[in-house]
Amino acid sequence: MNTVDEILDYAIDQEQQAADFYADLATRAETAGMKKILLDFADEEKSHKERLLAVKAGDHELTPEQEVLDLKIVDYLVEVDASEKISYQDALIVAMKRERAAFRLYSDMAAKVPESHLKEVLLGLAKEEAKHKLFFESEYDERIMKDN
Amino acid sequence: MNLKDLLSPFFVWQRAFEKPYTTIRPTLDRPGAPAYRGFHINITETCVGCGSCHEICQNHAIDMVAVEEFQGRQGDSGLRPRFDYGRCCWCGLCVDICTAASLRMSNEYAWISTDPTTFHFTAGVDDKPWQNNELGYRRAEGYHLYPPKRIEMEMLEPEESVQSFKEVVKGYSVEQAKKEADRCVECGICVATCPAHMDVPDYIHSIRDGDYEKGLQLMYRTNPFPATCGRICTRRCESVCPVGILGEPIAIRWLKRFIVDQVEAKDYQRILNDQTGNSGHKVAIIGAGPGGMSAAYYLRKQGHAVTVFEAQSKAGGMLRYGVPSYRLADADLDKDIDYIVSLGVDVKYNTSVGKDISFESLLQDYDAVFLSTGLSVPSSMRIQGEDHPRVLSGLQVLADVANGRDPGIGKKVAVIGGGNVAMDAARVSRRLGADVTILYRRRIADMPADLEEIHESQGEGCLIVEQAIPVEIQNADNAEQVSIKWGEAEMVNDPKGGRPRPVLQEDRMHVETYDCIISAIGQASNLDYIPKDFQDQLAIEWGKFTPGEYQHTPMAKVFVGGDFANPTADAISAIEDGHHAARGINRFLNPDAYTETEQQVN
Repeated sequence: MNTVDEILDYAIDQEQQAADFYADLATRAETAGMKKILLDFADEEKSHKERLLAVKAGDHELTPEQEVLDLKIVDYLVEVDASEKISYQDALIVAMKRERAAFRLYSDMAAKVPESHLKEVLLGLAKEEAKHKLFFESEYDERIMKDN
Repeated sequence: MNLKDLLSPFFVWQRAFEKPYTTIRPTLDRPGAPAYRGFHINITETCVGCGSCHEICQNHAIDMVAVEEFQGRQGDSGLRPRFDYGRCCWCGLCVDICTAASLRMSNEYAWISTDPTTFHFTAGVDDKPWQNNELGYRRAEGYHLYPPKRIEMEMLEPEESVQSFKEVVKGYSVEQAKKEADRCVECGICVATCPAHMDVPDYIHSIRDGDYEKGLQLMYRTNPFPATCGRICTRRCESVCPVGILGEPIAIRWLKRFIVDQVEAKDYQRILNDQTGNSGHKVAIIGAGPGGMSAAYYLRKQGHAVTVFEAQSKAGGMLRYGVPSYRLADADLDKDIDYIVSLGVDVKYNTSVGKDISFESLLQDYDAVFLSTGLSVPSSMRIQGEDHPRVLSGLQVLADVANGRDPGIGKKVAVIGGGNVAMDAARVSRRLGADVTILYRRRIADMPADLEEIHESQGEGCLIVEQAIPVEIQNADNAEQVSIKWGEAEMVNDPKGGRPRPVLQEDRMHVETYDCIISAIGQASNLDYIPKDFQDQLAIEWGKFTPGEYQHTPMAKVFVGGDFANPTADAISAIEDGHHAARGINRFLNPDAYTETEQQVN
């Protein structure tokens, strides 16, 4: 992956894979309520993909300079199984961990390339993933940590 | 006729050129005195429409009228005073009684119109030139027609309270209760806010009259748990009490408790005189908590045969196994429950649906089923090491104490959480002789626990560490202890406008060792007793139900209520859910008995 388009194609593919992951989990979910939540997650990933497609088409710009709040909630949570009996709390943990992994991937890649448009794009993608993580962390903070 | 008489009409004309004795606009020359009681001013944003002005007006010059922009506000009747100056005698009593100090009088007294029907207006709503008048009558600062401070409740001193599980609150004497009842302005804003819509002003009035039997009757119309709610209600009524705007709200909860305490349980049957017929319908209730037993009471009054299935050996749910006796003694809870059971409610104790009897069989054997099993599963922190044997759940500790078992907490305890379960787990631990530290992710001001509970826990010696985020549970040097690693948090404003969020500061970590850690970060529902196919039909989301009108679910004969079906998860909401479900079930069982008009009214 040496060009901006290649990087964007990779990121778009990752978002599609994430959407497919949640959709697949939804088909195996035990209850209709959890199925709906997982499909909502899949839709959220599809919206990320749409935004990246817009970036590739030149209709939307990444904002690598934007500061994104890191609540650090996911950093100290244990790994959980994405099984058919998954709870809402665990589904959020899975989502947060996936977004954090993506954030770290783009951040590490950006650190390895010299100053260039490519580096800017990688940093922009890292910020996008940080925003996605913040979305799920905020949800976790609001719903799961409501009494805490 | 002489000449003078003939000429006199012409002499009158000279008067036309003299200065007149009357003035065209008298107010320019004679303004009202600075403290004159003239036309009314109302600061409508401050006014909550309590109607005290209307009640006190001796001339019936004030009507409360609906004003659209104030409709639907919490703690606001949506009404504003409308003054009739054909009746007003300008006494100013309305200003003196105003609970919000929003009502004043300008020093304007002239309102000139040829239309006599115009001399009434809604102050602050209808545009008048005196609305912003600085002069006129104001109530003197510090002057109140009723005492602004509530009658203080006597309580055990903290040094004494931590020595036992004896009830901390001592209760009002007759004299104290009457004095406190006298502060009520009977506005009824509390009625709208109370989830059960209890008739608060009237039962408080019964204290003034010394008619406690009537008070009890009024309470049972909407709440069959008055002894309980008189002690542990979350009292949203008090949070909107207009008397609390300038002073302290009426102690509604303590007055409710006072009434119940004046009536002996053996007299309930005679006083309440509840009739229970036989409708021929059978209703099953799962869970004997406040929601289930409230439904049972109102369903029995409608003549339905009621069977309650309860997994525990006693009824009461979280009220018995989650609220310690220093807040709610068993005897007081039993006073409520025993009366409900006495109406012929059949409670099957030690019977778990899904284990001892199937959910499907209840659907088959009963005409309607009401689910009210609450939030019984402690939430998990999902941090490393949480499965350490010295990590206990707050619910389990409270249940152990309620059942007379030793929860084995040791002498140095950390409690994690900021809700009522956390506070109770901490206070119970103090009573068991432990030093207690409460770790909470946010600030004390953000704690969901009742403020009173927070203060009492601090008074009893619990140390609250704010902005402390647990990150890992670790083994201690010996198996009887456990260590917790926690980090300090900075509160960061939510860019989207939500409440500030705690952000872990990884350079400020601490490790402390305790005899046990009590996790009390929240509860979730356990719906394992409902087969998967039925769960799908019941439209459960995030472990919670979203019932329709009258607590019904998509399954025709299934109704739900209580902590897992409402956003507030408190006893009074569960009680109202049970009452409302009873109405819904009765409609479901007797569809022909309800005319269209009745359906609108009830």
